[in-house]
Amino acid sequence: MTAPDGNSAPAGQAPTMEDCLARIAESGDRRAFSEIFAYFAPRVKGFLMKGGASPEEAEDLAQDVMVKVLKKAKLFDSSKASAATWIFAIARNARIDAVRRASKPDLDANEPMLTPEEAPRADFLCELKERNARIGIALAKLPAEQLDVMKLHFYEDEPHSSIAERLGLPLGTVKSRLRLAFEKIRKELEEDA
Amino acid sequence: MSKANHHPRRETLADYAAGRLDEARAVVVATHLAMCEQCACEVAELEALGGHLLETAEPVPMAIDALETVLARADATANIVLPASLTVDRFANEAPERRLPLSEYLNGSIDDVKWRPVAPGIAQHVIEAEGYRRGVLRLLKIAPGTRMLEHSHRGEELTLILRGAYKDEIGEFSVGDLADLDGEHTHQPEAFGDEPCICLIATSAPLEFKTMLGKIAQPFVRL
Ligand SMILES: [Zn+2]
Repeated sequence: MTAPDGNSAPAGQAPTMEDCLARIAESGDRRAFSEIFAYFAPRVKGFLMKGGASPEEAEDLAQDVMVKVLKKAKLFDSSKASAATWIFAIARNARIDAVRRASKPDLDANEPMLTPEEAPRADFLCELKERNARIGIALAKLPAEQLDVMKLHFYEDEPHSSIAERLGLPLGTVKSRLRLAFEKIRKELEEDA
Repeated sequence: MSKANHHPRRETLADYAAGRLDEARAVVVATHLAMCEQCACEVAELEALGGHLLETAEPVPMAIDALETVLARADATANIVLPASLTVDRFANEAPERRLPLSEYLNGSIDDVKWRPVAPGIAQHVIEAEGYRRGVLRLLKIAPGTRMLEHSHRGEELTLILRGAYKDEIGEFSVGDLADLDGEHTHQPEAFGDEPCICLIATSAPLEFKTMLGKIAQPFVRL
């Protein structure tokens, strides 16, 4: 088991981005925001395109996501999530909302918009900061075939059956690879936890 | 917060964290998370996984003026109040039950729900939840001692207990417990205790008469 502390590579990038978010929250620091933007906007766009969005849709949605990052920075709490995790949640919710708008063009602004929360609740007790680094380590150890399926699980919102079809694999194989991957990550987290 | 004994399957939580659930099931899972810290933590870990995968996504260059556009849009909306969905502590001053994600769909508390009887000892309230992916969401109120017909589940079905309790072949389910059943289970729940059992039930597919409610209610009502 590798040392779980912040000196490993995956965690190296995160503090900078978290500091940037803190500065945006404090003073609306535009320089900090442009750093966040330079790193995350193209990744959010790439993430959405991997999920099947056209370049134009992905550009628009990624811009929506970045507007939210800027305006919601005050809700970010670095003890609860990394910047990447927080922005992932915003991107995920933006995609859900986009699908929702597409299926319900006459959407009433007052209708409930249930998307998973982006900011963990205040009474949340789990120690995520330390676990986040371990999750990165566990992810890096996954066999390629499990990592690929895991990526598709998060990038796409197509049913697993479509993913299986596209990969030319039985649905059961896709599901068992995913299950194995999740189990490995859990195990990594539970070891000397 | 009483500790739940029955939780969603990990696959269900992983689908929720990746934004893959239909709206009805997402409401049920979100409501469970508000009642179950263990699962809330597990979802947070899954989201952290999503964060790492976002970082490994291949960057695609943004439009040249994207940063300016974003800053201009943020400025333009600077004084606009965020929609309710973007504020986390909207229900901070409300009673705990009203703070559940479900509250948005009920426009208030479970006490204000208009029940419709569907069978002796059983009443229901259907909630619209077809926003982004079709699902069927309903509340069911079962009087203590009422026993359902034995049934299996076609497709996936999530049942969360909000009040009271029921027992079946799997075990006893009380407030906060979630039954995450697929087509392989057969069961015959029976409500027990002093108060009616109120459950929130989501089915991923449009209603089929083999689902729990259909089978119970089919002889009595047109659904
Ligand atoms: Zn739970």
